[in-house]
This record gives sequence, C-alpha cells and structure tokens, in this order.
Amino acid sequence: MFGDLAVLFFSCVLINNILLIQYLGNCPFLGTSKKMETATGMAMAVVFVLVLAGIITWLVELYVLVPFNLKYLRTIAFILVIAALVQFVEMFLKKSIPVLYTGLGIYLPLITTNCAVLGVCLINIQEDYNFFQMLISSFAYPVGFGLALVLFAGVRERILLARTPKPFQDTAIGLVTAGMLSLTFFAFKGWV
Amino acid sequence: MAKTLVQEFTKGLWAEIPPFRLVLGLCPTLAITNTLENAYGMGVAVTFVLAFSNILISALRKIIPSKVRIVAFIVVIATFVIVVELVMQAYTYALFLKLGIFIPLIVVNCIPMGRAEAFASKNSIVRSALDGLGRGLGYTIALSVLATFRQVIATGAITIYETPITLFGPAFEPFRFLVEAPGAFICLGLMLGLMNILGKK
Amino acid sequence: MRELINMVVVLTGISLASGGLLASLRASTQERIDQQVLEFVKGPSVRGVFKDATNDPIATRFQLKDGQIVRTFFVGELEGSPRGVALEAAGKGYKGEVGLVVAVDTQTGKVIGIEVTTHSETPGLGAKAKTDPAFAAQFKGASVSSPAKVTQDGGSINAISGATITSRAVAGGVSNAFTIYERLKPQIEQKLKELRK
Repeated sequence: MFGDLAVLFFSCVLINNILLIQYLGNCPFLGTSKKMETATGMAMAVVFVLVLAGIITWLVELYVLVPFNLKYLRTIAFILVIAALVQFVEMFLKKSIPVLYTGLGIYLPLITTNCAVLGVCLINIQEDYNFFQMLISSFAYPVGFGLALVLFAGVRERILLARTPKPFQDTAIGLVTAGMLSLTFFAFKGWV
Repeated sequence: MAKTLVQEFTKGLWAEIPPFRLVLGLCPTLAITNTLENAYGMGVAVTFVLAFSNILISALRKIIPSKVRIVAFIVVIATFVIVVELVMQAYTYALFLKLGIFIPLIVVNCIPMGRAEAFASKNSIVRSALDGLGRGLGYTIALSVLATFRQVIATGAITIYETPITLFGPAFEPFRFLVEAPGAFICLGLMLGLMNILGKK
Repeated sequence: MRELINMVVVLTGISLASGGLLASLRASTQERIDQQVLEFVKGPSVRGVFKDATNDPIATRFQLKDGQIVRTFFVGELEGSPRGVALEAAGKGYKGEVGLVVAVDTQTGKVIGIEVTTHSETPGLGAKAKTDPAFAAQFKGASVSSPAKVTQDGGSINAISGATITSRAVAGGVSNAFTIYERLKPQIEQKLKELRK
C-alpha cells in the first residue's frame, strides 16, 4: 500500500512531470519564471490550490456527477468549482492569514486559467484513482510543477545576463532551455 | 485606429498569430503537434469554440454585469467546449481518444478566455466573429506547420487522415527526439525565433 | 441591491440556456456515442476473440435483460452460421476488477476465446493476463458446464507465475461468464434463431 503510493508520488513528481513531460501549465511557466521570487510564489500557490481542488472535484465527481448521470458536464462543473474555490481562498487568506496572502495573493487569480490545475483534476478521474491515490497525485503533480518552475527560474536568471541572438531573446530561448530541462527529466523514465 | 473588417480577420493569420506572436495556448501546441491530424483536429476544435464564444459574448456584452463577467465567460466557453466534446465523441471518436485531456482543457486555454475579455466584450458581433475565426484559423495553421515539421522529421511519415503516409525510402533515419517532450519545447522555441527573424508585417 | 439581482438573473439565464443546449445535444448524440464507444473500446477485444468470424461482430449484437442488468451480446458467424456469442464479465483481481470478453460456441458449448479488456494489475506480473496470449489461450476449448479454475484450486489453468490472484480473477471472471451464459441460454438461442432467418 505505502510502497505503491510512494511509487505514485515519485512518478508524478519526476517521471510524469506535469510541466516538462505532460505539457500542462506552460503559460504561467513562461510567465512567472523570470524571477526566482515570483516562481516560488506561483509554485506554492499552485500546490495549495491544487490539493483543495483535487479533493473537491473528486467528491463532486463521486457524489454529484456519477449519481445524477451528468458525467458529460464534468468540464464545466470542474472549472466552476476551481474558479469558485480560487475566489474563496483569496477572500479567506485576505481576511484570516494576511501574511500568506501577501505572498500568494497576486498569483491566485492566475491559477483559474492554469491548465495544470484542471488537468490534474481530470487525470485523477480518468485514472480512476481512489481517495489516497487522488490525494498523492493532487499533491505530487504541483510539487513537480514547482520543482520544474524553480529550477527553470534559476537557469533563466542566468540567461538574462548572457548575450542571446536578438530574435531568440526572452520566450524563444526560454522554450529551448525548457527543452533541455525536459531532456534531463527524461532520464527518470524507466526508473520505476 | 479602427480596423476594417478584413483586417479584423487577417490580423490573426500573421501579425498576431497565436501561439507564435501571442504566446498563448502553449500546452496543446506542445502536446498534440506530434501528428498533422491531431494538430488540425485541435485547431478546428479551438476555432469552433473561439468563434462561437466570441459571438455569444459579444451579443451578451451589454447585459453581463462586469463583476461577474469572468464567471459568465467561463460558462459560455465551457458550454461550447462540451459541445465539441460530444460531437467529437459521436463522429470522430478515434481523434477524440488521441487528443484526450486536451479537449476539455480548451476551457483554460488562454486564447478563448483572452479574446473574450480583451475583444468580444467590447466589440460588435460581426467584428468578434471575424476576430475569432481569424485567430482560430491562424492557430490551426501554426499548429499544422509545427506538426508537419515534427512528424516528418521524427517519423518520416505524415498523418493526414487516420493512417500515416510514409514519405521516404528505407534509408531514412527517423529523428525520434522531435516527437518527445524535449523536442517539442526546442522546436517551438526555434519556431518563435524564426518568426522574429521574419519580422512583423 | 438592484445590481445583485441583475447579476443573479443574468448568470442563472446563461446557465439555464447552457444546460438546456447541452442536455438536448447529449440526448441526440447519445446513441452514436454509445456505438462509438463499443467500436473503439470493446471493438478490438471482441474482434480478437472472434478471429475466424466472417461477419463484423460489433455490428451484429443484441441485448438481453438479466434481472436488473441489461447485457450486450456480440454475435460471431463461424462456418457461415451465427453460432458464436461473446459476452462481458468481470472477476475480482489484486486491485479492482478484471474485465473480460468471453466468446462461446453455442453449438458445442465450448469457449472460442477470451480476452482481458480492463484491469489495474501490477505491470510485469498480473498485467501479463492481458499481454501474454499464451495465458488466455489456455481457456480455449473449456466447457461452459463446469467453472474454470487454476491448478492450485484443482483446475487445469496454469496460473501466471507471481500472479496467482490475477489468474484466479480471470478464471473467476470466465466462470461468471459461464453462469450468465447458462442462465440466459434459452433467450440467447432464441435471438440467434431470429438472426439465421
């Protein structure tokens, strides 16, 4: 039981890294990786929201969509749950934990349209995960997201100092670098 | 500076072509450009959602209160995404399986959401429709170009409909790297650089 | 206050319109979607168990009521007459259910072939039930009158090494298929007779 969950954890973080192998969440990846500070902020906000979103969407699927035979409305139900959750978390943090809000606040609205969040919620359902597997995957995928984001931000800060050919500055060289990073994550394949 | 209706359509094809000029909607661009069929299938799906959500949001722009506009946009876009899901399941199930999770993820693809917020909620129905169609078509072209390049070099074949057509003789050495994830990133990066060299006209 | 009412009314209106559109579209595409799912999800397995069939077993199918459950049967034509039926069954595996398609020759009462459709068994061990054709081939020719068993339980099926539970699940699923077949035999033969005309 624990062995299987540990395997699931590492395969979500490294082998099937959401960003570099499964290609989800690339817009915030390129947008918030220019500075280390924004990268860590975004990474933490995603972990926080995704664990909550994973649990809630999993329950919605089990207790609302399946019993009422509304599985075809899954997309709309999940995105509304995520949008509402993000709003709620934002209000809650603002009122109750202002310290956390100053750190994560500005990234929260961006999370609604981060496809990694909806993507992981959908993967949880598609893979038929039970509650514990869902919990691990909802935690491990965003950890992998954060890991890739922080690593990439570190590299990108260096690139800003380097002399890049003009047409490749900024996003273009960023993507090529992301390719190199993705190549290193490829090395984990065949590990489990 | 008001644009003519024709310009409203054509700006999405070159000057503001997503995802090369507007770096939006990257996830599907990377993920499904491994075969040409997937690429234009995705392009058509996005075009459909984009055109119809633009039209509807433009038609409703005066009655949607601005405080809840984002939620309203999400509902409208998600509705058309589910329409696409159902139609694809009914008629092109094989393609639906291949595109998999990226069809529902059109909801959070930044292009429809971005156009709803930045354009359709401020412009007339005709302009919004043309804007949606133009950008959708531009996106389809961009995906197809990228997919053709990746598939031909990586496998020596091209999939126009269902079965891949082999292009080269047995001496061809496939460069598998390009259909894998790292190849996708590097290819798109080079493509963006190339577009910058060609300039904005 | 006025603004609040306005917001609620507009959002409700949009949601209702969206729900109505989707529900009606769902209703009109339902049949085709079901057919497509059969074709692509079960199609390969059903065609796999009817390798020698001269017809398209997916196209020739009928449904029967088994108590509360409606079961689908696929018909395969062998040597020119529709005498093979394939049905779905499941057995309890190491992790969740192991889904199977079992094809039976109604004339001889023997198994034509079985195939594992869905499972979540361990890759490399239990998953061999699906990937190793030699395991599934052992069921060929088994009689539907007695349940299939692995050798550990006194039967004739050699379990996959390291995956006794999965092998038992497959044997159990096949036996379940036998019981369903025996229970519905009169109706199945009736349906096949209609097909011959």
